[in-house]
Amino acid sequence: MDKGVTQVKEISTILPASVRHILSALPLAVRENIEEIRLRQNMPLEIRYGQLSSYVTPTGQLTANSRQGWVFTEEQAGKLINQISQHSLYALEEELKRGYITVVGGHRVGIAGKVVLERGEVKGIRDLTSFNIRIAREKKGIAQKVLPFLLEAARVHNTLIISPPQCGKTTLLRDIARSLSYGSEWASSRKVAIVDERSEIAGCLHGVPQRDVGPRTDVLDACPKAVGMMMMIRSMSPEVLIVDEIGRQEDSDAIWEAVYAGVSVVCTAHGWDVEETTRRPMLAKLIQQGAFTRYITLSRSSGIGTIQGIYDQALQPLQKEEQLWSR
Amino acid sequence: MVKVIGAAIIIFSASMVGWQIGKYYALRPIQIRGLLMALQMLETEIVYGATPLSRAFLQVGRRIQAEIGQIFTSAAEFLLTKEGLGTQECWQMALNRHLPSTALRKTEREVLAGLGHVLGSSDREDQQKHLRLAATHLRSLEEEARAEQHRYEKMYKSLGFLGGLLVVILMF
Repeated sequence: MDKGVTQVKEISTILPASVRHILSALPLAVRENIEEIRLRQNMPLEIRYGQLSSYVTPTGQLTANSRQGWVFTEEQAGKLINQISQHSLYALEEELKRGYITVVGGHRVGIAGKVVLERGEVKGIRDLTSFNIRIAREKKGIAQKVLPFLLEAARVHNTLIISPPQCGKTTLLRDIARSLSYGSEWASSRKVAIVDERSEIAGCLHGVPQRDVGPRTDVLDACPKAVGMMMMIRSMSPEVLIVDEIGRQEDSDAIWEAVYAGVSVVCTAHGWDVEETTRRPMLAKLIQQGAFTRYITLSRSSGIGTIQGIYDQALQPLQKEEQLWSR
Repeated sequence: MVKVIGAAIIIFSASMVGWQIGKYYALRPIQIRGLLMALQMLETEIVYGATPLSRAFLQVGRRIQAEIGQIFTSAAEFLLTKEGLGTQECWQMALNRHLPSTALRKTEREVLAGLGHVLGSSDREDQQKHLRLAATHLRSLEEEARAEQHRYEKMYKSLGFLGGLLVVILMF
């Protein structure tokens, strides 16, 4: 069976029977490419597949007319919440504060509704009315093209992956973690530690990674990055530390800590290219002081996951544009 | 001789009927008490343990005996096996299955059914509020049930025996 369909199947266990039924009536070509299922109370069911968006009619036909779409009712919303939370919304307070819930398979459900405040801080979301079910897709093997640049002798280079949103940097990061953890005939396997503040890299559910991140990988789920990095260095003696989206001052301190401790760091940052990134104060300092020895920039100029370039410590290009994976 | 045996049978069965009705009055407060304990445990599991509802139900079901415990065990089973059904529906199914064999009355059943709409569907504070409200409700019903027990339990028991006696006397 096709992978895409398996993942949609996984997701469908959390959907109310009626939604499940409609989705199963979709054409196969659409079903295996679903990226998002968007449900809003009293609004028609919408799906995103490939780069397209469309409403779905009660019989499973795609339509651009919102009036013909199957309407997601309040009752359905209640059922969906029951399913997502396994009938225990009270156990998801942290998740509600962050605005998304990770479910079986590492898929994520983004939520919106009425926010409850306590002393000016978000305490949670009540009356959930909008759901964005994002289907997680793994791209195994994409790190193979960059790994040769990251390995030198026995060391893994401290690497910064720079990319605008939605260009596949987390996907690449996950595959790097997995590849380093498994090892291969030309690269020995390593102890990998992932600090997964937003549960995106490993997609943990109850602390168990739902994505394949390798056999020698330890994951610290939902932990703030800076604290988490220190904890991992002290407690798990990793050889490689994987972190997503650095950007704050304390992250920088933690990265230095890791570098001094002889732990290789592979992390990502938002940005368009190296030049722009060097202008961000905290990153600029890290870059100037030579914390990183490799830079990878991504873009979507020829589709998601295009490698714009790979650079060395002195920001000299090592590799030109290349397509990592095709859709 | 046959007459005496017949009379004995009549008196015996009449007392049994009275005894049964009396037992019903005695059971109701005991079962309400069981429910109160169950709700208390559920509150602990939910508010302090943030235990998923199905597991919390199982815990409660294991520790509360007889019919009351079974409601929770069945509800947990439905939550785990019936995909696509809401919490409320699962709870209601469990109630429908086990309530007829309890001594609980419509008032208690309504309190329980009402819980189905809130269990698991809000944050901890809210859950606590609802559970406590239900408990307060049940406590007042328990008092009422005890008062009824005092009044009727003995009465029905002796009424059964005396009723049997009356029939026997009339027959002779």
